[in-house]
Amino acid sequence: MAINQGLSHLSDHFLMVTLVFYFLAVLAFAADFAFGRRSPAAEPARADVPELVTAGAAGGTPVAGGSAAGGGTAGTVGAATGPARPGLRDASRWVQAGLTLTVLGVLAHIAGVVTRGLAVHRVPWGDMYEFIIAVTCVAVLFFLGLMIRYRPYRLGLFFMAPIVIIIGLAQTVIYTPAGPLVPALNSYWLAIHVTAITLATGTYVVAAVLAVVYLVADRHSRRVAAGLPVRNGEAFRLLPSPERLDQFAYRTVVFAFPLWTFGIMAGAIWADEAWGRYWGWDPTETWAFITWVVYACFLHARVTAGWRGRRAAYIQLAGFGCLLFNLLGVSLFITGLHSYAGLS
Amino acid sequence: MTETSRMTETGVAEDGQQAAPATGAPPPGTAYGAAGWLRWGWRQLTSMRTALILLFLLAVGSVPGSLLPQQGIDPAAVQQYYASHPGLAPWLARLSLFNVFAAPWFAAIYLLLFLSLAGCVVPRAYRLARSARALPPPAPRNVARMPQSVRHETGQDPAAALAAAAAVLGRRRFRLRTGEGWVSAEKGYRRELGNLLFHLALLGLLGAVALGGLFGYKANRLLVSGSSFANTVTALDVFHPGRLVSPADLQPFTITLNRFQASYVRSGQLRGQPSSFNAYLSYSPQPGARTQRYDLRVNHPLNVDGAKVYLIGHGYAPVFRVTDGSGKVVFDQPVPFIAVNTSGLASEGVVKVPDARPDQLGFAGVFLPTAVDAGGTLESVFPAPLNPRVSLISYRGNLGMNSGPSQSVYQLNTAGLTELPVAPRPLAPGQSIRLPGGAGTLTFTGYRQWASLAITYDPGQVPALIAGLAALAGLLLSFFIRRRRMFVRAYPGPGGRTVVDVGGLARSDPAGGFDEEFARLAAELRAGYAGQTSEGKTD
Repeated sequence: MAINQGLSHLSDHFLMVTLVFYFLAVLAFAADFAFGRRSPAAEPARADVPELVTAGAAGGTPVAGGSAAGGGTAGTVGAATGPARPGLRDASRWVQAGLTLTVLGVLAHIAGVVTRGLAVHRVPWGDMYEFIIAVTCVAVLFFLGLMIRYRPYRLGLFFMAPIVIIIGLAQTVIYTPAGPLVPALNSYWLAIHVTAITLATGTYVVAAVLAVVYLVADRHSRRVAAGLPVRNGEAFRLLPSPERLDQFAYRTVVFAFPLWTFGIMAGAIWADEAWGRYWGWDPTETWAFITWVVYACFLHARVTAGWRGRRAAYIQLAGFGCLLFNLLGVSLFITGLHSYAGLS
Repeated sequence: MTETSRMTETGVAEDGQQAAPATGAPPPGTAYGAAGWLRWGWRQLTSMRTALILLFLLAVGSVPGSLLPQQGIDPAAVQQYYASHPGLAPWLARLSLFNVFAAPWFAAIYLLLFLSLAGCVVPRAYRLARSARALPPPAPRNVARMPQSVRHETGQDPAAALAAAAAVLGRRRFRLRTGEGWVSAEKGYRRELGNLLFHLALLGLLGAVALGGLFGYKANRLLVSGSSFANTVTALDVFHPGRLVSPADLQPFTITLNRFQASYVRSGQLRGQPSSFNAYLSYSPQPGARTQRYDLRVNHPLNVDGAKVYLIGHGYAPVFRVTDGSGKVVFDQPVPFIAVNTSGLASEGVVKVPDARPDQLGFAGVFLPTAVDAGGTLESVFPAPLNPRVSLISYRGNLGMNSGPSQSVYQLNTAGLTELPVAPRPLAPGQSIRLPGGAGTLTFTGYRQWASLAITYDPGQVPALIAGLAALAGLLLSFFIRRRRMFVRAYPGPGGRTVVDVGGLARSDPAGGFDEEFARLAAELRAGYAGQTSEGKTD
């Protein structure tokens, strides 16, 4: 079927709008750090509740006082309605603006992905450009889910800034016009395999950001504990505690890892249909395997004494590095059966 | 291989108490016997730290397999690497770096890893089976010391409060145990089950891969339109049998390629990109069986008798007729040329005419599907045959086919040949070259297309799929189920009221969040024994 050029251009316009919204969201989140005041409701509610004899956080570490999210959890157990968290109304105006812009941006983002799909009559993740646009869409949706579920509003800046950079690069450096698929990709397994990989990759992006923020926040809290001088102490008090960040990162990987596993398996089934073997150590397959192994290392390290915390976070980032290498390095520089990037 | 089993690593025993420091290192001053060392070695091998290191090694060991050309994937690229790095390549070969995934050291890593896995998983499976019907332990004396705890008061007597608590926890599908003044409950056994299932499935996957390696085979065959072949060892171009495969095990089918068709994007920015490949086959599963037709496409393999046939490549086979010096037609057949560039499918190949007299003849050349003159040199600008041309260099002499090592059909050994002075003129279909010195005539009569087929048989396929699905199911169970215990103690307090202590303990909760679940459960419990009393909101 012919490519619908009108829809394809519409998609490009939607994605430009997306980038503008996201960029404004980054500015709003940054302004929150610069000028935002903590509203009274977001103050940690540490008042003793009579019923509550002990309420240690998971792992037995007390929740750091600066954590609005964690503090709220511990303090309001007695309310018998489950843990309460600061609502959106209690967040600063800058955060409200940032989240609103992010939501508007993601709506345009989804519209951009959908119109691209309609323009080419298939799932819109058939080449590198489409894949990156879809992955960032998943990452932003996951980020919004995290915001709604756990409300660590101050992480907005750290999420949206890399997203803006990635989308900006995708639109300028690796933009590929809408086109039909090469015969090798013309299979319903494209929808299954690449969708799973897209979802997993988008989620891994979120986990990697969390790991970086965790490492920085953990370093800060260690310095505070050791009585060393610290800079930007106020900014760190606005962030969730390192324990909380570590937990978010772990939960995110736990979400992504089965998806990644499923994506590899679906890829193996497709490889069997297309190339006559379910596993052949093609460079992309090899790096998908390496990525899988490194994330498996992370999952094991996090429950092993001596590897928890910073070391586990470094392993997670190493896994993300492998993922990026597979996406960029292997697709662009190593010739293999997966050379579909659409770039030359 | 989880938190609970690798106790010596985490230092935390199953019940949350501090474990004895039973790490692998022998205590100083202790002499170990052979059995002691063996036990020490085994404990080291099955420890989480060793498993982690082996996992890392597996990842690191795979890296050269993706960066260096591999014998099993692209032997030509390995040859090329040898040619461009003559000093380095033999050393890399000595370290099996051109065949990483079949290398002894790679096998050592994964076999040790799987041994470590088995050493950890099998005893745990045994323990899980034994604990399948075990009750949770009695509630500790001081429930308030649990990692999660809360104290309630109620107007009900202790027995009624406990009954209400048991009812609430039972409704939540906890496994219950009651005693004098306490209730203990446990839930989430499927987490351990899932974890075991995942690791056992990985062992199963290894077995499935081994099964395919022993009893499966892989083969390739290039087939020009209009020709056919039988699935026998001699008729196959490449044949990689498993260790326990004999030629008699090959499925006895015959395949004919009636026609091959490729279509390409004809205009726009993606001009020349292929849009479909179809190989129209007829095949019969065994000699004498009815012939059937199949439209073989990429992603749509043909299944014959458990073996699968795939379309993996295509190209052009120009047809040449050669008349030798004596005027006899000594050659008239298509010659498969191999594509050297994908955008225009310019293809190279050689023609060998060993029967020509007085001298043998050889030709090396290029086939250009859509030839265009680009400043003196011809190149192909489109993969479909819109303006097909062949350009050849002609040789006469000795092809060297009767002596020395066996030759590739795609290469000409020019050692015994002399190049003939023929003006380089590209041939259109129907045109000829008259060779000087009465050596003969070559006519480019036309061209056909060829398809390259891969034939594979892998009995480990279905077991591998089952193992993969089991691993995924196990992963989901172990990730999203938390194993936890709840303890309730009720006793008379001051003023005739009953004090209820509720404690909670997550036995494996790396993702956190048990505190939240505990708060919800505590609230439910409280509502449970408040329901029929004078206290609480019902009053």
